[in-house]
Amino acid sequence: MQNSPIGNLIWTLHRSSAIFFAVAKGATVSIDKSEVLQGTLDLMILKTLHALGPLHGFGIARRIEQVSEDVLTLNEGTVYTSLLRLQQQGWIDSEWGTSENNRRARFYSITRRGQKQLAVETENWDRISGVIGRVLRLEGGKQL
Amino acid sequence: MNSAARRLVSKVCGLFRQQKAESEFDGEMQVHLQLLTEKFIRQGMDPEGADSAARRQFGNTTLLQQRHRESRTFLSFSAVFQDLRYGVRVLGKSPGFTAIAGASLALAIGANTTIFSVAKSFLYDRLNVPHAEQLRMLYWQSSGHSAVHSMWGEFDSSPGGGSKSSSFSYPVYRQLSAHNEVMQDLFASQGDGMNATIHGTARRVQAEMISGNYYSGLNVRPQLGRPIQPSDETLQGAGAVVVISEGIWERDFGRSPSVLGQTITLNQTAMTIVGVNPRGFTSADDSQVSPDVFIPLSMQPVVDPKGKKSYLEDPEIWWVKIMGRVKPGVVDSQTEAVLSSQLQAAVRGTMSVKPGETIPRLLISDGSRGNHISENGFQKPAFVLMTLSGLVLLLACTNIANLMLARGAQRQREMSVRLALGAGRARILRQLLTESLLLAAVGGLAGLLLGYLGRNAIPKLLTNAWDTSEPNVHFDWRVFGFTAAVTIATGLLFGVAPAWSAARSEVSSSLKESARTATRRREGMSGKSIVAFQIALSTLLVVGAGLFLRTLFALRSVDAGFRTDHLILFSINPPPSSYANGKDVQLHARLEEDLAAIPGVEAVTAASVAYIGNSMTNEVFLPPGERFDESKQQAEDLNTVGNSFFTTMGIPIVAGRAFEAQDTATSAKVAILNQSLAGKRFPNVNPIGKEFRAGYGPEALVARIVGICADTRYANLRDEPPPQFFLLYRQQSDVGGLTYALRTRFEPAALASALRAAVRKVDLDLPIVDIRTQQDQIDSTMQTERIFASLTTGFGLLALGLACVGIYGIMAYSVANRRNEIGIRLALGAQPGQVQRMILRESTWLAAAGIVAGVGATLLLTRIVKSMLYGIQPYDLPTVAAGVAILLVVALAAGWIPARRAAQVQPMEALRHE
Repeated sequence: MQNSPIGNLIWTLHRSSAIFFAVAKGATVSIDKSEVLQGTLDLMILKTLHALGPLHGFGIARRIEQVSEDVLTLNEGTVYTSLLRLQQQGWIDSEWGTSENNRRARFYSITRRGQKQLAVETENWDRISGVIGRVLRLEGGKQL
Repeated sequence: MNSAARRLVSKVCGLFRQQKAESEFDGEMQVHLQLLTEKFIRQGMDPEGADSAARRQFGNTTLLQQRHRESRTFLSFSAVFQDLRYGVRVLGKSPGFTAIAGASLALAIGANTTIFSVAKSFLYDRLNVPHAEQLRMLYWQSSGHSAVHSMWGEFDSSPGGGSKSSSFSYPVYRQLSAHNEVMQDLFASQGDGMNATIHGTARRVQAEMISGNYYSGLNVRPQLGRPIQPSDETLQGAGAVVVISEGIWERDFGRSPSVLGQTITLNQTAMTIVGVNPRGFTSADDSQVSPDVFIPLSMQPVVDPKGKKSYLEDPEIWWVKIMGRVKPGVVDSQTEAVLSSQLQAAVRGTMSVKPGETIPRLLISDGSRGNHISENGFQKPAFVLMTLSGLVLLLACTNIANLMLARGAQRQREMSVRLALGAGRARILRQLLTESLLLAAVGGLAGLLLGYLGRNAIPKLLTNAWDTSEPNVHFDWRVFGFTAAVTIATGLLFGVAPAWSAARSEVSSSLKESARTATRRREGMSGKSIVAFQIALSTLLVVGAGLFLRTLFALRSVDAGFRTDHLILFSINPPPSSYANGKDVQLHARLEEDLAAIPGVEAVTAASVAYIGNSMTNEVFLPPGERFDESKQQAEDLNTVGNSFFTTMGIPIVAGRAFEAQDTATSAKVAILNQSLAGKRFPNVNPIGKEFRAGYGPEALVARIVGICADTRYANLRDEPPPQFFLLYRQQSDVGGLTYALRTRFEPAALASALRAAVRKVDLDLPIVDIRTQQDQIDSTMQTERIFASLTTGFGLLALGLACVGIYGIMAYSVANRRNEIGIRLALGAQPGQVQRMILRESTWLAAAGIVAGVGATLLLTRIVKSMLYGIQPYDLPTVAAGVAILLVVALAAGWIPARRAAQVQPMEALRHE
């Protein structure tokens, strides 16, 4: 049994100890905004690489900036944290190449496992966002 | 592979080439920043503004680097190093704690590794041959009157009248081996002591006579030369070849390869060395001690002749041990059935079975640990020792647990402060784990050293003072691993547990006074129960030590019935081939005279049995008018002695006379009885002047009783003096080897060369065997008792030390904790003496509770060792009382310093303290 892929993305080792303690303490787990964002960032990067083919970090950041239309502001450095994590999972691969202006840069590309993971997560995302949307609409209806 | 495992693998890979990954990531960030700056410039910013905007948008590069470093692999080296450095500082700051905890760990690991290794090697070690688990030993069991009457080897008679043995006659072995279809090759062997002359020096060696297929059956190759082969063992008296042990090769030939082809003399027969056994090979017989030489069985009639005809042809004497490997697919019960019927046929075919006699049933059993039909003799002591050392291990673990708990509670405040200052809980746990591991590493290393040194100490206790054979006890890494794992796991568990609870508790609550006191009282309780448990264990160990010590002293103070001081013993075993037909008797008579002439020797006698040496012979003893009856127990202990036996040994003659010079080979046969025998077989009659028969049938000897001597102990000190009679060896037709006793003021070492010279003058090839003092010999029979007394005393002292530390630790901790309360008490008018008594009372109650539990457990457990005690009962009151007193004193002493400290508390200071 595996956790749901979304959970998998959110519960990274980096935060797991803090969450562990929070649970042990019996307090409610509060997931701050950046955490959700981090999980979604992983998904977004996967999708970007899937759509555009091999890209370096700067290119990925530009693409996300472009697509999000400035709704999401992020420290572009976190893209690299995400990339490292995805690479450790084996979902993306990297290769050194030459960028525009002849700079040596690392190009990331999605792997077959990454493709599969993307499909699973897209489906999951759709389902969950559908559910959340329905729930929110339901509550709104009741208030009215 | 799930994603967690994948992540782990990549993290493990991340351990390598860290530097490269880091510089690559640096480059990546730089490129990104440059591109971002260029983008801003293109958008119209000035270069300086673009640069800072790019940095802003990218985020904190140092933090990112750090985060990457941490998630790329497990922990960054710098973080571990930081923890280590802090850990060393913390441990260095409380050297007392560090020393005690480290020493507890070291003692527990070291002592237990040693004892477990020794017990394990004696109880469970397999023969050092390939696939020892396939080996089976053959033995037989009979009920009622067995057709087998003469045996040489291991023999065990069960109380029901039946008997079992692993010895077979050579003709039977030949038949079993020839018709064997249910096992792989059956091979045979028997060991015996022999006189060897190597490079002109005569000495006693242990020889193993083996069948030609022995080496191939065991699947062992010599490290040099060739093994003994079937072609060596085809003709009786032929095959004068020998394979020597590595020990002999090393000591006598300096590991020279030219040893092959050289000759050594075994019982006057020259044998050619053809091979050297591999290191660690100890024969099929025993996994501990290796025989010195291996020779073909076919040489027995020449090298080791016994009796009137060759043992190889004699179907009556059962003497060879048989082993073999299982055949794949044949189960043991099937093998037993087939071999048993073959044994029936072989016995009927080789010897005459009288009516009413039964032919034994053949059985097989595990031969992977050698050829032994019973190991009960060592199993129980080893089991008791292992239990005791297990208790010490437990004690050490509780001690470590106690120390770590108390320390953890003490540092709860520190932890709270660190939490409040923003340290992650994981970080604190990691820190404490590092400290515990550091402590464990120190203790573990010291324990390793102790265990490694100790592996030589215990085997030394197990051997005789004069015996040169070295038991094959290895330092056992698995045992070390086990004890180290147990103790270190304890340390970690109890080191981290308080940190765990500290980390769980709310920061504010443990910083608040009231909450703190409440939690600490609870922890104090668990600490106290641990100390009580320690004291209970110590009571058990101390009383146990007392029982074994008293046993040793009781045995030491037993009156043997003869003067055990200033007696030197050694044996002379003339080989029958050159001393046949009574020449051995003449040899001993000549030697007795020559030895008596050595300056400093007061008296000399030879005797067939050396007292208190676990050896005995007996013979049917028939007073006038009594007839031999096989169903009756008519045998009495016998000693065949020299003329000056009673004066040399200092045994008083209570009636009649001792043997005298007038008693010669040709004069009338005379005998002396001890008082027990006189009372038993001549009730209400004066036996002096009466004649009796010793033995039955045509070989019986008739002797006249000339005197009665006082009783003496015989085979050991434990048994009451048995009835005994004495004959003169000069009046026997042949006697074989005898043990000489010399009364002298000199030490054995001072006299040894003079003795050797005297014997060499008579026969160059005759070695003096086992020179020792009578006291050495007595000590060797008390080996088990001595080992138990010394080890259990060691355990007891260790336990006392640990309990002492435990009590001191817990009371000191409790006093430190209660400074406030004590301050208030003193401020309200309590006298320092009252406070001191209060603390002392507390520690005494603690001790009393532990002692009561301990005495209860002791009374239950010591019953198991009842058979190992001598002269006292397991519930021996003085021992228990002494043990209890010692523990109480120790508890009081350990509580004294904290109590003093409590009484010296200054009220104002204590109240101001918090």
